[in-house]
Amino acid sequence: MSSTTDTRIQPGSTVLWDKGDAAGHDILGTRTFGFWLYMLTDAMVYAAFFAAFGVLAHNAGLNSKSVLAAVFNAQGAYRETIALFASVLAYGYAMVALKKGSRSGVAVGTVVALVLGLVFLGMVSGDMERLFGQGIVPQSNGFLSIVFTLIIYHALHIIVGAIWMLVMLAQMGRDGFTSNVVYRLINLRIFWHFQAVIWVFIFVFVYLQGKVI
Amino acid sequence: MFVHLQGPWNPVWGRLSLQAIPYHNPILVGTFLFAVVIALAAVGAVLYFRAGPYLWREWLTTVDHKKIGVMYCLLGLVMLFRGFADALMIRTQQAIAVGPHSPGYLGALHGYLTPFHIGQVYTAHGLIMVVFAATPLLVGIMNIIVPLQIGARDMAYPYLNALGFWLTAAAAGLVMLSLFVGNFAHGGWYGFLPYFELPYSPGVGVDYWMWAFQLSAVGTTLGSINLIATIVKMRAPGMTWMRMPIFTWASLSTNLIALTSFPVLMVSLALLGLDRYFGTHFYTAGNGGNLMLYNDLFWVWGHPEVYFLILPAFGMMSEIIPTFSEKTLFGYTTMVVASFAIGGVSWGVWLHHFFTMAAEPSVNSFYSVTTMLVGIPTGVKVFNWIFTMYRGRVRFELPMMWAVLALFLLLVGGMSGMMNAFAANDYMWHNGVFVVAHFHMMVLLIAASIFGAVEYWFPKIFGFKLEQRWGKWFFWFMVLGTAWVFVPMFILGFTGMTRRLDYVPYTQWAPYLRVMLVGMAFYVIALVFFFAHLYVSLRDRVKNRVGADPWGTSRNLEWMTHSPVPAYNFAYIPHVHARDEWAWRKENGVASLANESFEDIHMPRNTGVPVLLGALSFVLCFGLIWRIWWLSAASLALVVLVIIVRSFARNTDEVITAKTVAGVEGAVDDALPSAARG
Amino acid sequence: MTHSVDNPLHHPEVEQASFAGYLANFVITVVVMTAALWVVGDKSLSTLGFIGWTTLFAVVAVLVQAYFLLHMNWSKAQVWHTVAMLMFIPLFVVMIGLTAWMFHGLYERTMIAMPPHTMAAPMKRAAPAQAVPPVSQPVPAPKAM
Repeated sequence: MSSTTDTRIQPGSTVLWDKGDAAGHDILGTRTFGFWLYMLTDAMVYAAFFAAFGVLAHNAGLNSKSVLAAVFNAQGAYRETIALFASVLAYGYAMVALKKGSRSGVAVGTVVALVLGLVFLGMVSGDMERLFGQGIVPQSNGFLSIVFTLIIYHALHIIVGAIWMLVMLAQMGRDGFTSNVVYRLINLRIFWHFQAVIWVFIFVFVYLQGKVI
Repeated sequence: MFVHLQGPWNPVWGRLSLQAIPYHNPILVGTFLFAVVIALAAVGAVLYFRAGPYLWREWLTTVDHKKIGVMYCLLGLVMLFRGFADALMIRTQQAIAVGPHSPGYLGALHGYLTPFHIGQVYTAHGLIMVVFAATPLLVGIMNIIVPLQIGARDMAYPYLNALGFWLTAAAAGLVMLSLFVGNFAHGGWYGFLPYFELPYSPGVGVDYWMWAFQLSAVGTTLGSINLIATIVKMRAPGMTWMRMPIFTWASLSTNLIALTSFPVLMVSLALLGLDRYFGTHFYTAGNGGNLMLYNDLFWVWGHPEVYFLILPAFGMMSEIIPTFSEKTLFGYTTMVVASFAIGGVSWGVWLHHFFTMAAEPSVNSFYSVTTMLVGIPTGVKVFNWIFTMYRGRVRFELPMMWAVLALFLLLVGGMSGMMNAFAANDYMWHNGVFVVAHFHMMVLLIAASIFGAVEYWFPKIFGFKLEQRWGKWFFWFMVLGTAWVFVPMFILGFTGMTRRLDYVPYTQWAPYLRVMLVGMAFYVIALVFFFAHLYVSLRDRVKNRVGADPWGTSRNLEWMTHSPVPAYNFAYIPHVHARDEWAWRKENGVASLANESFEDIHMPRNTGVPVLLGALSFVLCFGLIWRIWWLSAASLALVVLVIIVRSFARNTDEVITAKTVAGVEGAVDDALPSAARG
Repeated sequence: MTHSVDNPLHHPEVEQASFAGYLANFVITVVVMTAALWVVGDKSLSTLGFIGWTTLFAVVAVLVQAYFLLHMNWSKAQVWHTVAMLMFIPLFVVMIGLTAWMFHGLYERTMIAMPPHTMAAPMKRAAPAQAVPPVSQPVPAPKAM
């Protein structure tokens, strides 16, 4: 019988259909929201990795103290942290330039962020190379498997972000600040800045707290 | 870098060779011939009717949520058939291979399936029914109905929607391909560790299972992002949260589960992949691996996944029961709360899948209690449905019959679930068929809800009703089959029968197993009636044409547009005033759908990119399964390239002109009689 | 279906960018991470104290980032981002926490950690393997059930 309402109907003044396309869905906000949901699923991937890390850390004792010391190179990781945070700051600068509509500002910010991202990548891969050279590899045992997986998975994101930055530089050059370009720049901001958040966890809970494992 | 393999491998073909084709197995050859006949018939029909361009233009490249939903449902139905064929094989084998004197055929010592073969059959049965039958059917129905119920013209991301479908289809294709090229995993659908590690399962079967699973997980995650964003961002003006139709609420809750839990499945499978391809030690026995870690991560996904399947089914029941009780839903708010309570609790119960792991008693007790908590919101739902029917004018048309069947199955499955929640009980019957019977009650209730939902919403999508006579035969034989298969299975569970047997040692169980086979015969007859139901419905489609509101007592927004729904859904976006907007309009006498002047409508343009990406992912996974590295590398590079190139496209939208809209709107007749009434 | 006249640069998600905010985030997080690194060198801290301090620094850094970088707030443009994040956080905690709890007991009860020299030695180790005494874990007596 009753539908849930107390509204008395006024046939003349009741709007039944939304004429004039006034629904006006906010495309940009919808796009960034979907990307944000994706980003959270990625965070869940990291969370699952950390759960695995917690389980496999029980067997960290399979590695000698010197191996663990070589893996948990806190000084090196700290340098990587600075590079990544600086890159995030540079991309933040690009976002401020976007607000002002400055194409050159966005380009400069993105290029600096890209270069610093590559510096970060170079440091991570240098670290990996050093460890592999000493025979410390993911195949050694379960604990090293998860440690390397966490670090390499994060580095893969930096590679994806770098490619994305190149694509955005090209699209911005071609189209200027169209709605498509702007929402992608914002999604890239979400993506890039999220890497810094994840890195805090890796730096503190893997590199630093690895000391007491 | 890659782990060393036993057996032949070469750089061009990887592990692929002619030996991979199981031409010596008459069952698989027969299946292959059957598949070839079906495929030839389909291709022939397409060529004969010159339907190729139409199919490509209107279906394969579509970004229309309704058509994608229909394709999801078709995929689900095909895979349901395959999964049923697997079930038939398992039941037949277990009815024959009882006791040491039972006969053996086709190279099997007992029965007609070798242990290796029946292992693949039950693995495929489980994986297919959960991931490739139930999931696509539910996702398909949500895909069609949710945008209509919230008054949107499409999903938030139509292109992503198509991509999600094609990834799922590619994954289903991999499972089907494993029949004829190579083999499938043979250790159960959820995987056994360390049995699924490379040294113990060196073949490609586990790889097929792993990549098909992984690909479908990606597809489902993308789909869940899409539906959540659609519900949050695309609701029609006036549709506040507490005015949302209950099926939309159920979809939101279920997709939140998918969004949060599927990433964990991806991790559990990816770590297995790293073990199998790179020789890491996540799940190995020894070298610091932990095989229970796999079970942990898998069921962190696995239990929420169960509710991912059941919540939309609950949503469907909540739509059907009010319509056919001619009343509003009892306890709307509690229904919403219950959906989210079930979704929330689902995240804290996963250990009950491995109570026997030997965790501390306090851990097992914790998970026992959380598992029992699920019963509370579910009970709320059951009572709400019953109170909805109470003092309603209940009409037992087909959708309602399915919904009531689902209610009964929910009681049986739910009560036996409570028994399983006791860790002490689980120590008795872990991996026994009592558990199997329990969760089959649950998935059959999902199936019943799906059949009800299809009967209910079919006229909305296609513009004509399904006939009722054969449909009722189909229904009753499904009931018979369910009773005859699963009542004996509960009894066998109590007598201690374990699951996944290729040979049954106790002849005392033979009578029950044969009764179950009779039940399977009822299911086969039901299948025949199902095809008759479809055929007669299609034949009489003109006679059964219906208008906008074929059931006459429907209550929500999806009935406020024409049947079949035009491409743009609503010529004008409806303005929402009440919880059951359509019922409200009918009560207030403003239920006319006629509009005079029309406006241009912006819609996304069709694109072939999602099909291409689906095909490339298929090839990528095929290369990985057979370790054809160049093929995988090339298809991965192409995937990246296609995504980048597509991002440069400018013309992704098109306009449906006011004139076209006026033409479509002028041609429909919403006042057509509702065939089944009167 | 945005209006074509809308300028995407005036969208609230573009306008929320603030260089002062990003700079503040950079300075604070670098300081906090430096402090965390400095704690590693502090020999006077107990293990628990070390874990406590570093975890605290991580939490501060992440909260600062959530505010300045991820723009977690209740403004109209960001509210659903924030809600989604708040939905995920308990699940992270539940998954990691319950897993840790389950496996902590499980290792005690079933999987006795063995000293390295009894297991297969990791490949090509740089330093000789015997150098280290294992993280010694007393074998617990099986509990009566």
